[in-house]
Amino acid sequence: MNTLIFFQTAFAGRRLATLGFLWLVMITVAALAAPLIAPFDPLEIDPVGRLAEPGWPNLFGTDHFGRDTFSRAVYGARMTVIIGTGSVAVALLAGGLIGMISAYFTRLGHFLMRCVDVLMAFPALLMALALITLLERSVFNTILVIGIVYATTTARILYGMTLKLRGEVFVDAAVCSGAGHFSILFRHILPNLVSPLLVQASFIFAFAQLQAAALDFLGLGLPPEVPSWGNMLSEERIYVTRAPWLLIYPGMLIVLSVFSMNLVGDALRDSIDPRFKDDIAGV
Amino acid sequence: MLAYTAKRLLTLIPTLLAASILVFLFVHLIPGDPAAILLGDTATPEEVAQLSAEMGFDRPLYVQYFIWLGNVLQGDLGTSIFFRQPVLSVIGSGAETSILLASMTMIWIILIGLPIGILSATKQGTWIDQITSSGAMLAASIPTFWLGLYLIMIFSVTLGWFPSSGFPSLSDHGGITNLRYLLLPSLTLAAPNAALIVRLVRASMLDVSREDHVRTARAKGLHPTRVAIKHIFRNALIAVAAAFGFTFAALISEAVVTETVFSLPGIGRLVVQSILRRDYPVIQGVILVIVVLYMVVNLAVDLAYARLDPRVSLK
Repeated sequence: MNTLIFFQTAFAGRRLATLGFLWLVMITVAALAAPLIAPFDPLEIDPVGRLAEPGWPNLFGTDHFGRDTFSRAVYGARMTVIIGTGSVAVALLAGGLIGMISAYFTRLGHFLMRCVDVLMAFPALLMALALITLLERSVFNTILVIGIVYATTTARILYGMTLKLRGEVFVDAAVCSGAGHFSILFRHILPNLVSPLLVQASFIFAFAQLQAAALDFLGLGLPPEVPSWGNMLSEERIYVTRAPWLLIYPGMLIVLSVFSMNLVGDALRDSIDPRFKDDIAGV
Repeated sequence: MLAYTAKRLLTLIPTLLAASILVFLFVHLIPGDPAAILLGDTATPEEVAQLSAEMGFDRPLYVQYFIWLGNVLQGDLGTSIFFRQPVLSVIGSGAETSILLASMTMIWIILIGLPIGILSATKQGTWIDQITSSGAMLAASIPTFWLGLYLIMIFSVTLGWFPSSGFPSLSDHGGITNLRYLLLPSLTLAAPNAALIVRLVRASMLDVSREDHVRTARAKGLHPTRVAIKHIFRNALIAVAAAFGFTFAALISEAVVTETVFSLPGIGRLVVQSILRRDYPVIQGVILVIVVLYMVVNLAVDLAYARLDPRVSLK
């Protein structure tokens, strides 16, 4: 219920952010119902119908294998949601735990946060590239790599926010009533961090899309056969003059989704607890 | 200030050492004999045995680390498998392109980001503000390689104004005019970063404008432009300067992509090609160089920040 009110106040009077939210809902529906929406098999090759212009029945045209671009774009939405939620989950779970524990157990925390500092000395994409060198190209590994990269910033942010809450009276009260460490961290402190975590999640989701697309473009992201928007751009870029639609549609889809996620994050950030506002850096 | 500088320098050393351990371990995390990995598939067993003995790969890991660190401190980052050249000179050959690209990008970021940010903040709440700040967010949402491909399409293929790829050195034929090769890449790279600076300048100017000294300046009847520039913008710049470390990291990351799109012979493209070629010594060397550079830049930013805002070093 609280979360619902939080969302209502965040989007009240913000038309662009509401549109962004609706777009994300559409993407999620497309991802869930991809087999029902896509008119063709995204992997089916048709050598005769190569590079067909957008029209009927190929709404977005076909690529150089004769695969239907619209169907691939619909299945691409599925990859977008999987990569986004996966990276957010890894980043929030790993980073969140490290951050919260560090702020609570100060001595251990001092050590853990120094480790985070060291990891943060590696620029994001460079760290992703270094990790990808050690792993194979797969959906899981892409999620893992992007998740780890953003776990460091998440740890830093949650560390700061937990530190602020630790000094609050309600935490002292919980300690006095004999609550254990686990209960204080997860039953008393964590519920106060839900809305800032949602904001952080939306920004990670947006960044993760850009990073995943960049990795796909460099040929170091998802396996080439996986229909993701990044892979579609990467594979078809040499046909840019012959078949411009092959780059327009997936590119626009990425831009719209990242933009929507940023708008949603921005709207949510403006309505969270003012104490935490400066902790979260988005766009 | 001196004490603060010394303190920051001292905290840099352990972080630098820890980062170097991670970079060192990189080669050891790849499954297989590290000597064979460093020499590539074409190496003979004798060569592998020789490197193994040189680097002490049969000795405990910490001994190997100190041997490696000793070599690194003497400027020996190993030998590239692909180029058969010292890693440092391979990296050096990409340095000119990358440094020029980064410098041109920085100029664009300042020329585009600062004025639009000031405009957005001074016109807060108007349609100008709405367009510029949503526009900035949109620009930050565009994948750099996609933007680059379209700039090539429009300005190189259709209009033929600028070359679409490559970069001959400034010392080659053409001299300073060769910089035109970097115009589209630097604009591509600048777009998302200038957008972030626009948002940042706007946010910190709005923060400063709520402070007492600004109210006093307005109350004594100063011209609004003068208040905006001398009293608000100057103070807001402190927060912007602090963000330049972050911008530098973003530049490095996105340069990898931009250099690949425009086929520029820089360090970014070198990393990608080395990963695809499994040229591990080069990957390791580039990571090390960039991490050290990034730390130095961050230190410089922190010190500049402390100089601009003396309250920082007193904390």
